[in-house]
Amino acid sequence: MHDHETLESGPSRRDFLQETGAVVAATALAGAATMESPAAELQPGTGGGIGPNAVKITLNVNGRDVQTSIEPRVTLLDALRNYLDVTGCKRVCDRATCGACTVMLDGKVVYACTVLAIEAQGRQIRTAESLYNDGKLDAVPAAFVRADAQQCGFCTPGFVVAMKAVLDANPQAAPAQVEKGLQGNICRCGTYEQMRDAIYALCNTKRGN
Amino acid sequence: MPWPTTRRVIGTRVQRLDGNEKATGRAKYSFDINRPRMLHARILRSPHAHATIKTLDTAAAEKVAGFRAFYLIKKAGAEVFFAGDEIIAVAADTEEHADDCLRAIRVEYNVLAHQVKEADSLRSTTNTTGGAGVTNVNAGGDFTTDNFENAFAGTAATVQADYGVGVISHQCLESHGLVAEWDDKQENLTVWASTQAVPNTAEGLRVHFKMKPGEVKCITNYMGGGFGSKFGPDIQGIAAAELARTTRQAVKLMLDRAEEVTVGGIRPSAFGNVKIGGTKEGRIQAFEVDCYGTGGVSRGATVSFAILPYVYGPAVPNIKRLHRVVRTNIQTARAMRAPNHPQNSILTELAIDDLAARLNVNPMTMRLANLPPDDVAEAKTNPRGYIAQRGSIYRAEIAIIRKMCNWDRDWHVPGAQKGTIKSGMGMALHTWGGGGRGPNPTRVTINANGTVLAQSSSQDLGTAQRTLMAIIIADVLGLQPTDITVTLGDSSFGPSTPSGGSTTAPGTSPAILKAAETARDAFLTALAGRLNVQRNQLSIAPGVVVNAANNQRIPFRDACSQLGVPNVQANADWPTTKELQNSAPLREEWTTRLTNQGVGGVQIAEVKVDTETGIVTCSKFWAVQDCGLIINKLACESQVAGGVIMGLNYALYEECIFDRVTGRQVNADMEFYKLAGIADMPPIQVHMHDMPERGVIGIGEPPTIATAAAVGNAIFNAIGVRVPIAPFTPERVLAALANRRAGNP
Repeated sequence: MHDHETLESGPSRRDFLQETGAVVAATALAGAATMESPAAELQPGTGGGIGPNAVKITLNVNGRDVQTSIEPRVTLLDALRNYLDVTGCKRVCDRATCGACTVMLDGKVVYACTVLAIEAQGRQIRTAESLYNDGKLDAVPAAFVRADAQQCGFCTPGFVVAMKAVLDANPQAAPAQVEKGLQGNICRCGTYEQMRDAIYALCNTKRGN
Repeated sequence: MPWPTTRRVIGTRVQRLDGNEKATGRAKYSFDINRPRMLHARILRSPHAHATIKTLDTAAAEKVAGFRAFYLIKKAGAEVFFAGDEIIAVAADTEEHADDCLRAIRVEYNVLAHQVKEADSLRSTTNTTGGAGVTNVNAGGDFTTDNFENAFAGTAATVQADYGVGVISHQCLESHGLVAEWDDKQENLTVWASTQAVPNTAEGLRVHFKMKPGEVKCITNYMGGGFGSKFGPDIQGIAAAELARTTRQAVKLMLDRAEEVTVGGIRPSAFGNVKIGGTKEGRIQAFEVDCYGTGGVSRGATVSFAILPYVYGPAVPNIKRLHRVVRTNIQTARAMRAPNHPQNSILTELAIDDLAARLNVNPMTMRLANLPPDDVAEAKTNPRGYIAQRGSIYRAEIAIIRKMCNWDRDWHVPGAQKGTIKSGMGMALHTWGGGGRGPNPTRVTINANGTVLAQSSSQDLGTAQRTLMAIIIADVLGLQPTDITVTLGDSSFGPSTPSGGSTTAPGTSPAILKAAETARDAFLTALAGRLNVQRNQLSIAPGVVVNAANNQRIPFRDACSQLGVPNVQANADWPTTKELQNSAPLREEWTTRLTNQGVGGVQIAEVKVDTETGIVTCSKFWAVQDCGLIINKLACESQVAGGVIMGLNYALYEECIFDRVTGRQVNADMEFYKLAGIADMPPIQVHMHDMPERGVIGIGEPPTIATAAAVGNAIFNAIGVRVPIAPFTPERVLAALANRRAGNP
């Protein structure tokens, strides 16, 4: 199915997901209540799973249930950005390298570009937008702002979510542990020095030279 | 209109105004814009580095679910010049369907010979890169000082070696692209573009569609990195706007990562054979270089070696440059953060340390002996310019960094350390222009409700330009930066200069100052009328208007409410080019006092080299940087540390690798195109060398220039062997060590 004339020579991740989507979806169905779509969405002839046509899904994003209709091949990242207008998670590498799409799934950080949207049903999805509520800024993004740990800012929400997850899991984390939690993220403007300032401030630790 | 001598906000550490929105993902970048009924577009690209299109069949693609429209970029018969060259764009209802459409398009190519390696193209005798009237190799600006024949006679030592740095990519995290939307009558176009040049992008589209001024609007509220690669709509922007017109729906077309790396911009490579000779005291007597580099399929204006030997040129009596620009089947090079300077820095600074080692001279002593002198003639016309005081600037900065890094204690003779992991220190200098110009019209409005609005069409690429505007205005009006509402990034406001070459801070700051002062004066004049006092009885103090007539201190907001009019407003801009040409006082004020150009800068790296694995770790880094009058010290330090990190990336990790056989880049991604994570980066100590008397000078480019050369010299200092080509990868370090063990020099 892969056109040899397209730039990418091998199957893209997206094609791979498309081909394996049926299996993944079937697994999700077997997990029962997570798959909200009615039986009518089942499309026989594709291995008994769902798709390739669009199905209705419900995602819990930042504490709110939201519905949309997507093809099973759509990633959580693209569902959030293109179908639900939740754009704090950014698409940069789109293959689990840069961390710009980092979100929390049941409190655990994932690359949203590498999770299918249908897999995220029934789970708590948290994006950077959740760290600002009723005019109140969470301590993690606040530390980024104070230390100027962002320039263009395109990678920043991903870093912020990654750091928030480390500190949620271990509020007593030492600076080195927090920094370790950021190793799956890449910044192009070069804000790591200021990020370290933010980390030390959040850990209430004085930074030596 | 000088800068205030007592600066309350200017020069302090001010957090960026849009920090909260950005850090919590609420800031809407162009990539984040979702319009009603918006379609998604993708581009089919040539998989071949050089070919002609035989046939193009879109019949199957038109039947794909969700298909809406095509925009043909190259017709059958057209020649493509690199893998990634655009063929046809397609719009569909979803991104997934747009991808499906691309896969259904059938293209047959007549594949032609290509060149993606500089050395291959240099040797090729036929025009294998294609195109009419173009050759693979073009002579650059060769240059030789008089009587060069005996230039190396009598030197205490001479070193000759190859140095270089490969092609790298901008890797903007927000890729190139835009969202385009026409109004119902198809008469006006609005685009949300990721661009460093908001009005230029609108203008590029206006020209393409042959529209009237004002009919195209470009909006860029937030921008995710450009580094010199985003100055216009580009082909993908035009394709999106064409597809939006055809379909009468909004269209989003942002490049994916492979496209971003393949067509979003490269920095030219530079390779050179350098011969350098000096006296026993370490004075460079002669510098000869035979160099070449590729700017991809562009004809070569993007590779310039005319500033070799870099920084020290004015102090070197004998110079010879041979320079060839090599064409390759790679995307056209784009300006990248300090165009040409990093490459020239590597070709100069590495050779200097090799000569210093041969002469047994400390590299810092060597540099002090070869600083470009303060230019006496220049001092008469622009005494605060770089040229008039460059030697003094470098001497002052070297003195500062020498203490910061404890050079006298920690520097050792190259290769002097025992053991498997060896540490070393290396240094390098740089310079950049960073002068400003107009037009950059700026408006300041003081409203009766106490709010203050600042407007320009300029853009904030992450440089904290919004915050810079607020700082200057707050300083003039006795307010805090958070009291100022700034709107920028909208071409309908008027012209502004593109954000390239570190020109935005100096280009906008004086107009902002003038607008703020004019608004303040209008405000106080209006208020004086209302209060029935003389204008000169009123003045601004922090947070208040002071009425000297009755010693009353009126809070700013209360004073605004007494204006009696909805607002007072002031517009200001640079004098025109003609006015500057015709008036020496205006020139002096705007280009030598309010702003200036030319900065120095010194950087020192400490590295640890594992001689068994070849892995280089930069363990500490120091940077001393001047940029005239500092507006925001916090943002300045961020720029410098960020520039250093970008420099460390191309010193140690980054390189575009092209496959000779297929002609494609094999690492058009982020996993094999290496970029540092936080754990890879050292602590970076930045010292801003404040020179407020010089006026505002740009800071974006300079701090990334000297970094890689400083690292290269630190590696040489650690292991006593030169690793000549950046990035200094484990493979290259091991090869250099093996080469020495084999007995080669």
